Amino acid sequence: MKIKAQVSMVMNLDKCIGCHTCSITCKNVWTNRPGAEYMYFNNVETKPGVGYPRGWENQEKWKGGWELDGGDLKLRTGSKLSRILKLFYHPEQPELEDYYEPWTYDYETLITSPRRKHQPVARPRSLITQRRMEIKWGPNWDDDLAGGDSARADVNLKKLGHEIALEFSDIFMKYLPRNCNHCLNPACVAACPSGAIYKREEDGVVLVNQDICRGWRHCIPSCPYKKVFYNWKTNKAEKCTFCYPRLENGLPSVCTDTCVGRIRYMGILLYDMEAVLDAAKTSDPKMIYTHMLDVIKDPNDPAVIEEARKAGISEAVLNAAKISPVYQIIRGWKLALPLHPEFRTLPMVWYIPPLSPIAKNFEDKVYLPNSEAMRIPVAYLAELFTASNTQIILQVLQRLLDMRTVMRRKEVGESAPQGLEFDTCEYEKMYKLLGIAKYSERIKLPAGLQGKTHEQLRELQGSAGYVCPGGCC
Amino acid sequence: MSNLFFVALPYIALTVLIGGTAYRYWKDERSWTSKSSEFLGKGSLKIAGPLFHVGLFMALGGHIIGMFVPKSFTDGVGLSEHAYHMIALGGGIPAGIFLCLGFFLLMHRRFDKARMKVNTSLIDGVLYAVLFLTIATGFGGTLLSAVGLLGDDFNYRECISPWLRSVLMLSPDVSLMENVPIIFKIHVLCAMATMILFPISRLVHCISGVLAPVELFMRSPIIYRRK
Ligand code: SF4
Ligand code: SF4
Repeated sequence: MKIKAQVSMVMNLDKCIGCHTCSITCKNVWTNRPGAEYMYFNNVETKPGVGYPRGWENQEKWKGGWELDGGDLKLRTGSKLSRILKLFYHPEQPELEDYYEPWTYDYETLITSPRRKHQPVARPRSLITQRRMEIKWGPNWDDDLAGGDSARADVNLKKLGHEIALEFSDIFMKYLPRNCNHCLNPACVAACPSGAIYKREEDGVVLVNQDICRGWRHCIPSCPYKKVFYNWKTNKAEKCTFCYPRLENGLPSVCTDTCVGRIRYMGILLYDMEAVLDAAKTSDPKMIYTHMLDVIKDPNDPAVIEEARKAGISEAVLNAAKISPVYQIIRGWKLALPLHPEFRTLPMVWYIPPLSPIAKNFEDKVYLPNSEAMRIPVAYLAELFTASNTQIILQVLQRLLDMRTVMRRKEVGESAPQGLEFDTCEYEKMYKLLGIAKYSERIKLPAGLQGKTHEQLRELQGSAGYVCPGGCC
Repeated sequence: MSNLFFVALPYIALTVLIGGTAYRYWKDERSWTSKSSEFLGKGSLKIAGPLFHVGLFMALGGHIIGMFVPKSFTDGVGLSEHAYHMIALGGGIPAGIFLCLGFFLLMHRRFDKARMKVNTSLIDGVLYAVLFLTIATGFGGTLLSAVGLLGDDFNYRECISPWLRSVLMLSPDVSLMENVPIIFKIHVLCAMATMILFPISRLVHCISGVLAPVELFMRSPIIYRRK
């Protein structure tokens, strides 16, 4: 056993209202620079839909993630030798068109236009060439559409074949906010020919070293989630940083902090580094999720604590791990699932699958249907979160339904139903954390990474400018 | 003039190449990149990129043999001058064709699309001009001498190669360059210009390209680093 700490995130999809605040605040902090205009380290897509970049889940095309080759794990993008040949031309590298061409408007014409018969218009202009352009696609072109060509092009739906017809009466949708998953077995790290991308020892954050990156762009197709981006101006790769300067000071990422639906939870997970490879190699993709749970260790187990101390994990981090809300949701109640575990990168951003809309048909007058009868087909959720293992989805949905039943019975003064998986008080805790938890309960991060406590950091407030937050210089 | 071009300039170029590259590495590694433009639009890159680089590797290999394997050595092992040149041309002509074609396609792609402008700086433009001249004089000179238009007694292995070796041995013998045809003189000057451009242009990626396979084969797949 070799214990490492990982900062992890859980998103409760039931509560995502699709407001895109997370994307915007992230953009304002990280990607509002020339060369990065088209990047969304965090984006929210409507599912079913093609997403951003278009069709990112289709690994036949992008060759992202890992695959099993006779029991061995290898990058889908090819052997080391073939990857070296791809230095000269990378067939799977996405182009700007796969995302969208970023634009602005000629706002000035609104002010400077001479008097005319018609209102002046601000016409779009490309942020890349600065020329006029016609807008044909944007980062959220299919937002809230759920039907139509974009939904039909959803790879997950296609895999289900005719099982799910997109009849108007059956149309369903849900939001999927996505950022880098800071995977335990990151394909982007393995693919980099110059060793520029690395996983931080202290918190598992995956970062691109901007000095070492040579713009070989191998990480971009290799990441199955398409969460590494090519900056066309600096000609280097960039990606979500999990807002590491904030993490180091005990603060959550900006997307978590500003989430309007309060769907995001952040905390520490302790995991066994030596078990990572075996979990990634799980032969049956449907079992990867289960094996991922085994990699995560109980932070209250004395043996784990001892190993963690041996590995040099600080007490602040250990204490945060013990009260980690994400551990409680992921391992404790087993409510959260990894996005596309079959990519075998072992992602560390987890999702609680959504229950709502609760009734399949408008005419259904049930208060709580059973878990198979949700409007969002279980098989579709299974494509997203369990490599098509519907059993696990049903279990998770059942736990969420049980929680609602218990809370309802409590409100109306009935006794709790029989044959529940947990004690009723456990469901109450679940309800509190998922439903009404405050910021400080949803986010439990240690401030120890810089060796300073929250109090010491507060004293530093205002003592440094933007260039050196936290007074580090 | 000769002294300036073929005694002083080579050392200036070498100094800039080594010193400048080292300086860029220590002081400005952040700008060190292959400057790939594939993201902005693939176009003909699929064929042009590999074609140009393969041509380049072949040409480079040929130059190394031509410059550093002395005539006395090939004579010693019984390779006749004629046979040597046939072999050299056998490799050189395809290399030249690949290079020219690749270069043409790459330039067409680069200057055809408005979007590609954002990936093309002034220094890139200078570099392409120098590269063009280098390829044109190199390939052109080779063809001209193959058909005998540069005079029967011109043999680069008896003038340019020993001159280069003399420069590298720090005892430059400028007289060797005296009777070299002007087209090869320009070629040599272009080569030196390329060396000077090396540290300040995207050319630095050549070093990374050589090191990348080493890095990739040596390291463990997942890298952990401390803050
Ligand atoms: S999700 Fe993040 S850590 Fe995982 S492979 Fe992609 S970029 Fe790397
Ligand atoms: S800010 Fe929160 S609620 Fe809004 S889209 Fe993002 S994740 Fe969903």
